[in-house]
Amino acid sequence: MCDWCMKHGAGGKWYMNAKNYSNELAEAMNAQEYLREQWKAFEMVYIRRIMGITSIDLGYKLQLPIIGRILRWSAERMIHSEGKHRNPVRADGHFGQVIPLEEAKVILGNLAAEPIIENYCMCRWMQRGIKEACCINFGLLSGVIEKLPRFIPKDTKYRLDRDEAIARIEEHNKKGYVATVWFQPVPYINAICSCENPECGGLRLRNDFGLHTVYKGEYVAEVDPDRCQACGTCVTKCQFGALRLVHSLKRVIVDINKCFGCGVCRHACKYDAINLVPRENYPALRGVY
Amino acid sequence: MFPKKSPKVTIDYTKCGEKGQMDPRDCAKCLRVCDPAIFILHESPNMPIDPVDPKYWRITPVWLSLCNMCMKCVKVCPLGAITVSR
Repeated sequence: MCDWCMKHGAGGKWYMNAKNYSNELAEAMNAQEYLREQWKAFEMVYIRRIMGITSIDLGYKLQLPIIGRILRWSAERMIHSEGKHRNPVRADGHFGQVIPLEEAKVILGNLAAEPIIENYCMCRWMQRGIKEACCINFGLLSGVIEKLPRFIPKDTKYRLDRDEAIARIEEHNKKGYVATVWFQPVPYINAICSCENPECGGLRLRNDFGLHTVYKGEYVAEVDPDRCQACGTCVTKCQFGALRLVHSLKRVIVDINKCFGCGVCRHACKYDAINLVPRENYPALRGVY
Repeated sequence: MFPKKSPKVTIDYTKCGEKGQMDPRDCAKCLRVCDPAIFILHESPNMPIDPVDPKYWRITPVWLSLCNMCMKCVKVCPLGAITVSR
């Protein structure tokens, strides 16, 4: 169990705690104001100077001696900030975790506060110039995004009921997109994204620069050697390069240190050979997110 | 002691961007050709900010340390606005 479950999980996983989805919590935190400021110029988050430094060439800056360490420390502090005066334009307190499809369905079916909308993905828009409706937002955030026309799909229905939202997340999972649930800002939860590497801003910072914008899921994939037919379909679906087809063994092996536990590979498998097991089952992975 | 310098990728904003001949939102070829996705499309910081529906956009190469210098963006740019150097 991670620190955030301890703090905001009420004895379970943080994203399974209904309180974190409630409008009352959002109002108490004044989340509306934060979200409005954050979303109206979200594309500027890497361009804007934060304490005099932009994200341009962040990879180089983070490797600098001393300065790099200070930079990493302050970036992590910003990402996980629970302070009173969080700055929305640098997305203070905005981070998430990878979840398997089943848990995403539970959230959309029961926990998410209405209204639920599906808008154009911010990350794909800023990194690829592509408008693809695959971000499911709910609660107060829906009302904020609805007022920004560049994120609202024109020809399709964007306000979803719970069943439609579940159908959409299943569709995204089939494409190989990874479901992630987001604090925005911590502890208020208002989004389930369907992320793709390397377009996703969160996964970019996590995988390429080691900043904890996205935590690994509570599970890891396990391959059943008797069932695996070495077709390699799952390998093509993995966004994290955690699966490898080993011809000499005639099966797929999992690099559990790379696995984020999204379970996308599992649905791609025709032979039902992949299972998700709790991360805690592996002593080496306990507490490693 | 110091890390390896990243490649320099520059975009000529007199050709592409808010003052250029093309709206980067309509082209976006460099964004899509780049495998490591080092470019970011964003509203132009030099123009009056329209919080609801920004009209002026530009592209900035942000994740320079991930650039492989494959030169695909240089070739694909219809305006010849991108240069990549060490």
